[in-house]
Amino acid sequence: MNNFLFTQPFFKKNGKAVAIYFLVAIIFWFVFLVIIPQFYMLDLSFRTNVPPLARGGPEDYYTFEHYSHFIFGSKTATDAFNFVDLGVFGRTIFVSMLVTIANLLFCYPIAFYIAKIANPSTARLLIVSLIIPFWINELLRSFALRILFANEGVINNFLTGVGLLDQGILFITYDIGLYTGLIYAYILLMMFPLYNAIESLDINQIEAAKDLGSSSFRTHWRIVIPHAKPGIVSGCTMVFMLTVGALATPVVLSSPNTLWFPQLIYQWFNMNDNWSRGSAYSIILLIVSVIFVLTMMRIFKVRIGEIIK
Amino acid sequence: MRPSYFINFMMGIYIFIFFAYLFGPLIIMSITAFNSAEFPSITPWECFSFRWFNEGKIAYDGQHLAGLLSDWRLHDGIISSLIIGAGVVTLSVPIGMAAAIVLTQVRSQLRDIYYSISIMPVLFPGVIIGISTVVLWDRIAGLGGEGFIADIGRNGIFLTILAQTCFISTYCFLIFVARLQRFDQTQEEAALDLGASQTQVFFKILVPYLSPAIASAAVIAFLFSFENYNTTVFSILSDQTLTTVIASKVRLGISPALSALALTIIALTIIAAVTYEVLRRRAEKRYAESQEKFVKEKAADNRINKKYKAGFKIPKGIAAILLIVVFATYGATQVVKNDLYGQSCIDAADKEKKSKFLEQLQTLESNELTDEELSGGSLGGNQDYGDIFGDPSLFQDFGGFD
Amino acid sequence: MSADVELSDVSVTFGSFYAAKNVNVKVNGGEFFSFLGPSGCGKTTLLRAISGFQEPSEGKVLIDNKDMSGIGPNKRPTALIFQNLALFPLMSVSENIAFSLEVRGVSKEERKKRADELLELIALEGQGDKKVHQLSGGQKQRVAIARALAVEPKVLLLDEPLSALDLKLRQRMRTELREIQKRVNITFIYITHDQGEALTMSDRIAVMNEGELEQIGKCDEVYNNPLTPFVATFVGENNPLYGKVTGIEGDKAKIETADGQYLATMNESKKLNIGDESIAFVRPESLFIPRDGDNFDNKIDVNIESFEFEGNLKNFYASLKSGAKIKFSVPNAIDTSSITSGSSIVLGFESSKSVILPKASLAID
Ligand SMILES: Nc1ncnc2c1ncn2[C@@H]1O[C@H](COP(=O)(O)OP(=O)(O)OP(=O)(O)O)[C@@H](O)[C@H]1O
Ligand SMILES: [Mg+2]
Repeated sequence: MNNFLFTQPFFKKNGKAVAIYFLVAIIFWFVFLVIIPQFYMLDLSFRTNVPPLARGGPEDYYTFEHYSHFIFGSKTATDAFNFVDLGVFGRTIFVSMLVTIANLLFCYPIAFYIAKIANPSTARLLIVSLIIPFWINELLRSFALRILFANEGVINNFLTGVGLLDQGILFITYDIGLYTGLIYAYILLMMFPLYNAIESLDINQIEAAKDLGSSSFRTHWRIVIPHAKPGIVSGCTMVFMLTVGALATPVVLSSPNTLWFPQLIYQWFNMNDNWSRGSAYSIILLIVSVIFVLTMMRIFKVRIGEIIK
Repeated sequence: MRPSYFINFMMGIYIFIFFAYLFGPLIIMSITAFNSAEFPSITPWECFSFRWFNEGKIAYDGQHLAGLLSDWRLHDGIISSLIIGAGVVTLSVPIGMAAAIVLTQVRSQLRDIYYSISIMPVLFPGVIIGISTVVLWDRIAGLGGEGFIADIGRNGIFLTILAQTCFISTYCFLIFVARLQRFDQTQEEAALDLGASQTQVFFKILVPYLSPAIASAAVIAFLFSFENYNTTVFSILSDQTLTTVIASKVRLGISPALSALALTIIALTIIAAVTYEVLRRRAEKRYAESQEKFVKEKAADNRINKKYKAGFKIPKGIAAILLIVVFATYGATQVVKNDLYGQSCIDAADKEKKSKFLEQLQTLESNELTDEELSGGSLGGNQDYGDIFGDPSLFQDFGGFD
Repeated sequence: MSADVELSDVSVTFGSFYAAKNVNVKVNGGEFFSFLGPSGCGKTTLLRAISGFQEPSEGKVLIDNKDMSGIGPNKRPTALIFQNLALFPLMSVSENIAFSLEVRGVSKEERKKRADELLELIALEGQGDKKVHQLSGGQKQRVAIARALAVEPKVLLLDEPLSALDLKLRQRMRTELREIQKRVNITFIYITHDQGEALTMSDRIAVMNEGELEQIGKCDEVYNNPLTPFVATFVGENNPLYGKVTGIEGDKAKIETADGQYLATMNESKKLNIGDESIAFVRPESLFIPRDGDNFDNKIDVNIESFEFEGNLKNFYASLKSGAKIKFSVPNAIDTSSITSGSSIVLGFESSKSVILPKASLAID
């Protein structure tokens, strides 16, 4: 096994005590924290929802009911499909994609500016300024937006106070607050991969391109963006995954009558005490995430190691 | 070809807007922490006060709106968050380190698979990690009967530590991988050759080399744990952490006490960031002294605008400070002039509101309106909402009261 | 306190690739022995086999006549100086030097005493508290040596330790190394691709090519009597003259080339037969411009193409009739101002100064 798995005999290379520590730590992590819980959740998603005591009893059998509920709705429903849940799901994915694209568009000029144009001390100042909001809890950042966007919030109070409007705009009800908040929440996870990727581009390449008469737009399109591709893919993947799986921001900012998909999971799980269905919906979310990562890797031909560094 | 002034100008404006977007909400929120009104706002400004940092207030309808210092729920949450953070650091740093070191030892054919497994947890949505941990441990606790296993299997803090460790280990792993990439393996061999045992090599060569990474992994692990919500909200079960307390508060209605909390966190963050930056600069300076200068020059060379002036320009700094001073003075004079600070102002405001409220109450009573509409007028705060899992009605106003 | 090191039929393979192949060599105790060979020929691999980082796939390493197989590098009486030195950057100079004592649980005072002794040996007294990055290249070099000597190994293995230094320092360190070796009197096994380094320092050298040993011997022996065309051209410079053996007289052989017939000395162990494809070698310094009364065994017509001035020597590059190139060097003390590019002259060389070997590939190919 040694020679199959490792370049050098594992115990000899690390010494017994350290080797045991390595093995225990890694197995504990991979097996007990990562793999078994996921598989158990997968298993649970195919089982009936029974109280803990009935687990293993006759009521507890394998079924597709949770997945079919997601698509077709409850057995007593009149609609052909579960439009509510499917709608939440579709909206979550669609909005997440838009949020990702918006983040990319917003961040690119800044990342380029910091990496290649600003002088080093300004660049450092900007980077530190970027990092500070990132360390503030996502909930509190959303809360800050909530103060702005609430019906009697700062913006509405200001607008009505100045006399621009007679009545406040319903930012929260129309989910404007939510979308702004989602863009706000993970924007730095787009910024940093982008910045790192652009930063590593040799300035001579840009200058050479300009020297050859390439326009600014063309230089970006043909030189900078291809070079920054791994960073772009990495940023987009991270932002999309986090947005699709976001719970904190929707909890604070979504309007009472719309749900974000993780909120739906939360509902099944905690409110309706239907863990099996919660698990099934989680699996669906997981599948979306995995498909997204794989698609990004396939389309842009990057390896997983380049996405997360 | 020179970037035209127009483009530069637009770029400047864009950067300004971008940073305004990042900081504006935080700044406004910070200001609202000092407004004595029950609803976090700037206009109308009631009184300048520190009450949301201290004891909060008893509202005109008799409701207690807790401030930072008087909010035991928040304190309990912070304590559990600290315990969880400590637990996550003790688990995830050693795990990340072990996994990163072993990455250098697995055969190259397996390396990609191994790496993929290691980074998988950060690609999982946080809610899923929380859920899967809870369902698994609930089952384990169910099988374990009444003893110790059942206890820890239903202990929210324990489960949260496990669930967070699952993905925070990956961040630690990545930090260690980055540091190990620059490790010169011949140092291990040199130590072996000089007679060190494998264990001694680990403790005398590798661990000291990794110690900066251990420190940053510990800090990162703690911060990620401290601010995590998505995973924690599931795995914490009936306990509360700082984030779940905040979330349930926000859900019940927004209170300036949260602004005060956020401002405290922002202040701590800025202090930490400045300290870190100062330390880093000092270390860098020391390093630069012993290294060739060209490294720095090269970094500067890799920019379009080569003729930069080093250092933060003092005039700009002075201008910024002056601007802040001017605004602050203006704000302060306004506050003083309009008698908008101190106990007298607060008393006056409260009195006015109380009388209004009583008036309202009377009209309501005479019109025999329902209680529901009445409570709709309440502007949030710290009601006794109990266990969020036990209260389905919370979800009906998911997202707030607007 | 020195030990013999014997490699008996040692091969090291990486997959199907032989980094070292059937190496047989016995290094005597107290000897300064060098392995010389071009980059990638397997020198480091061989050293790692001796120090225990690399188990040989075949054969045995014996130190003091004890079989070392299965004994780890931390249990062998060898100390290795790495190609990149591998000093510990987080420790001070003294801590580096005393590391081997520290891991053996030697007390602090004793460690300090020994470190001071060694600092004196390498002429760095009082600099023990410095950090490694505060030392110059040559000082680092010496610290690496002191660190290796701290536990009094019986064999010191050095892997191109001077390659990172500049020319002047390299030359000074050669003498210093040699002196240190005499003082501590242990076996030094030295690895280099620089033949000048090997020749000036070593008692004996082994020339390696593509994992195999080509020749082992004293420095002058290897220089004067190379066993293979590879050694002839790798150790020092040599002009090859390709041809066929046409006659044999005692230990001399006559070779017929495109540019004429030459007489050259055969190596005892590489006897030739008439008709064999072979190469005669003549070194640049053995080619002379005949003066009146000189009578050389061999004469050779050349056409000067260019020359360069090297200080003590003047090097001429010339071509033969067939187009083959030849280099010869003349001491600067001799007036050669009449010889310029384009001039045709006759050179002479003695058969005793030329070796003839069976045809094989050269080091410069
Ligand atoms: N771990 C290894 N796996 C595969 N091949 C290796 C390994 N180590 C060395 N080799 C190969 O073995 C051969 C000899 O390598 P070695 O390091 O011994 O060369 P060297 O003579 O020390 O060269 P240099 O003078 O450049 O240091 C090289 O072709 C090298 O590519
Ligand atoms: Mg080598």
